[in-house]
Amino acid sequence: MLKKNTIREFREILGSNNCWNRPEDVICYSYDAAYEEPVSPDIVVKPGNYNQVSKIIGLCAEENIPLVIRGAGTNLSGGTVPLSGGCVLLTTGLNRILEFNKEDLYAVVQAGVITAELALEAEKNGLFYPPDPASMKVSTIGGNVAENAGGLRGLKYGVTKDYLMGVRFYDAEGNLIIGGGKTVKHATGFNLPGLMISSEGLLGVMVEFILRVIPKPEYSKSLMVVYNDIIRACETVSEIIASRIFPATIEILDNFTIKAVREAIKTEFPAGADALLLIEIDGHPEVVNKDFDRILKICNSFNGTVRVANNKDERDKVWEARRMALSSLSRLRPTVILEDATVPRSKVPAMMKAIQEISKKHDITIGTFGHAGDGNLHPTILTDKRDRDEMKRVKMSIDEIFHAALKLDGTLTGEHGIGFLKAGYLEGELGAGTVNFMKKLKHGIDSKNILNPHKMNL
Amino acid sequence: MAGIIYELSQLEDSIIRCMKCGTCQAVCPLYRKDLVEPSVARGKIALIESVYEGRLEKAGDILNHLEYCVLCGRCKQNCPSNVKTDEIFLKARAVLKKIKKMPGWQKSLLGFVMDHPERVTKLLPFLHVCLKAGSRRVGNNALRPFMLPMSDRNVVSVKKESFVSKYKGFNYAENERMRVLYYPGCSVNYIYTSWGKAVVETLKYFGVSVYVPEIARCCGIPAATMGDIELYRKMVNLNFDYFSSIGADYVITSCPTCEYGLKEIGERETKRKIPSRVIDILIFLDEVLKIDFTMPFDKKISFHLPCHYDCSYSDLPEKFLQRHFSSNYIPLKNTDCCGFGGTFSLKYYRDSKELALAKAEELGDKKIDTLFTACPGCAMHLTDALVSAGCKTEVLNPIEVLYEGIKSGVPNRN
Ligand SMILES: Cc1cc2nc3c(=O)[nH]c(=O)nc-3n(C[C@H](O)[C@H](O)[C@H](O)COP(=O)(O)OP(=O)(O)OC[C@H]3O[C@@H](n4cnc5c(N)ncnc54)[C@H](O)[C@@H]3O)c2cc1C
Ligand code: SF4
Ligand code: SF4
Repeated sequence: MLKKNTIREFREILGSNNCWNRPEDVICYSYDAAYEEPVSPDIVVKPGNYNQVSKIIGLCAEENIPLVIRGAGTNLSGGTVPLSGGCVLLTTGLNRILEFNKEDLYAVVQAGVITAELALEAEKNGLFYPPDPASMKVSTIGGNVAENAGGLRGLKYGVTKDYLMGVRFYDAEGNLIIGGGKTVKHATGFNLPGLMISSEGLLGVMVEFILRVIPKPEYSKSLMVVYNDIIRACETVSEIIASRIFPATIEILDNFTIKAVREAIKTEFPAGADALLLIEIDGHPEVVNKDFDRILKICNSFNGTVRVANNKDERDKVWEARRMALSSLSRLRPTVILEDATVPRSKVPAMMKAIQEISKKHDITIGTFGHAGDGNLHPTILTDKRDRDEMKRVKMSIDEIFHAALKLDGTLTGEHGIGFLKAGYLEGELGAGTVNFMKKLKHGIDSKNILNPHKMNL
Repeated sequence: MAGIIYELSQLEDSIIRCMKCGTCQAVCPLYRKDLVEPSVARGKIALIESVYEGRLEKAGDILNHLEYCVLCGRCKQNCPSNVKTDEIFLKARAVLKKIKKMPGWQKSLLGFVMDHPERVTKLLPFLHVCLKAGSRRVGNNALRPFMLPMSDRNVVSVKKESFVSKYKGFNYAENERMRVLYYPGCSVNYIYTSWGKAVVETLKYFGVSVYVPEIARCCGIPAATMGDIELYRKMVNLNFDYFSSIGADYVITSCPTCEYGLKEIGERETKRKIPSRVIDILIFLDEVLKIDFTMPFDKKISFHLPCHYDCSYSDLPEKFLQRHFSSNYIPLKNTDCCGFGGTFSLKYYRDSKELALAKAEELGDKKIDTLFTACPGCAMHLTDALVSAGCKTEVLNPIEVLYEGIKSGVPNRN
């Protein structure tokens, strides 16, 4: 509970229109897109300028109020749930694209800018901002940086971290910190943009970014490959990478997901296939066509039947169907839990086998799709949170999926972050020493631990 | 209170489908304006949940947030999990209204208007005169009342004589090839009477005899959005009974919200199948009569798609205009809801107008002469904003222009 005086001080900083503390307002900030128990903050604030941000942090520091930063609240790891109450700071009011530089190929944007808006601005300028999380129509750039968001194009174009050149943030005392800059080469001081990637709101309130944009690829080609055996599909992926071909995207869908999509929409996805690979190659036309021929051969050698999308319309339909994967699955049962355990690319077949076994062993429905080309699979658990017995088995399955990924030299999360949900597994992957180092780093910067406390168990 | 919580918990099976993914933020006109969670479907759903899960004590406090919604249906259409948001919101409003009761006068007025359309019709000349005397003309067919709290609105006036009192009964077509029932709805009956006239005359011209009800019964939607679901069901039942008694294959409408109220939620709430096919006049002309003509309309035109327009035909009106009117068609970038939302604009006028003004701005910038729409609610609300923005664009239903064309002998009958 906040003191009346403190609430008044918040109001003085923000005005009463951008500051809420009634139960029916703060409850709307008790959750995010992860499956977890909701917890309400005491107050929610929506600053409209940096000065207000700095003052809010100052007030929270003085009064020892936990401060949780929230963009669109679409993260899948409970990162924005204010576990011990306090203040939720919305970045949605800081939503301007400040500069788009076509000569030097960068954009300067505020934290609350929506990913798709930046992508659109780039496109308007004949350029390209590749990171494309499936949530890009709503996610904020601040959230993308704080979670190191990836997307379909990760294989060839990398993820958010590969585009972050500079960042401005306020530390736990409300001081402005400037990291990186507008030059391609930058060796001045610590690599603070690197530090803020995946910082999940624990190290500072980011307000502004400098992001790299690149020339648009000239030409692209999409193909769909149908398999009778999903393991052969996974082996195809490993072989393509081993042959040093880098398509923009290689996506996989398992039999269960294909069926779900077929039930949800009209699609060309074939009935009865055990797995599908969706591949897009882009770049210079000559190179694209050469790579295409090589991929064709590899697919054939693993018994995949190739269907080429011949025009834009067919291509759009294929990718639209892919985007429907999660939603089609989510329609089948009340509760959906989306995981993103990730393994080195050559281990995709082994990981797929492990998921299948876990699903059978615990009698849990799992549909798997994902970014096979990055080793980033999305085993999607379909369940009903009201069924206690089933939820126990779900929990065991999740544990085993993580352990399987770690055993294959993988990681807990490829793009969804640790937040609260995966905090308990962190030490298992990184070791006590590493967690301790992170703790020291966090507490050195934020001695009162006001910035997103409890997340990552820090 | 326990009863209320129990009734809300009945919504759990629909609500639990919401995976809190936040996708609805991208399409909700109110979220995009406010950028806060209570505006968007995900927030509203979480609020209802928090009441029946016992995390929020004063259930009545969430009603304001639930009523802050234009019911544009965008969240439902774009929800990956197929969450029936409109159904959830309307039911929750109805339950919560039991705590936060509608003021007595509001309830009686609503009941009176719906139960006795014939008496409202009798009051029309009086209302018409009052509005005229108490306001000044501000162009575009609109009046600005002097009286607070209406003095910031530009209202399209109610007409002296209702549409049905002039057209009720059979309107026979020469060379009759078909008979239909026309359902004018309140807005056309009292305000946009010219739309009604154009519908009847145009249909007659194409050989369709039109039966117009003696009494223009409300579809009930205003009651539903204000949380009086019983009154709403009663209206839907009366309308369905009426349609069966007439035995019409087609019931023509020119108000998508009436159509939505009768068809989609009407069927769901009464668990009855609608006895006739309710169809918008433009769809009827195009799909059933297959009319084919081109007429000159030498203006810069555009179209605003009403939220409740039959979604399987959402590109029909635009194509209709381009095919039949030789004019300069300019699409709009802003495809949002106009912000009207019926009772929403009464309670949240400022927010409602902000959305309409954003549209008016684009219309002004693009110097559109005529904005077409297919919903009298949108027409009324956009006219208000256009007048406020000092913009000369007129708002019409395509049927009005078509009827003008018929009068001057342009389109062929085939
Ligand atoms: C349907 C769906 C699909 C998704 N698909 C993908 C995908 O393909 N790839 C992917 O990577 N992710 C995906 N996600 C996860 C999520 O969208 C991303 O993690 C996204 O980057 C979160 O952005 P946000 O604005 O919602 O951040 P939020 O959820 O609001 O915040 C996420 C974390 O970042 C912190 N944070 C936010 N803004 C700031 C700031 N300005 N300064 C400091 N810290 C901040 C928060 O405290 C929190 O810990 C998906 C989610 C959903 C629901
Ligand atoms: S209503 Fe639909 S789109 Fe909105 S958060 Fe829930 S599941 Fe997602
Ligand atoms: S119906 Fe429209 S206004 Fe209401 S929550 Fe859904 S998208 Fe927003």
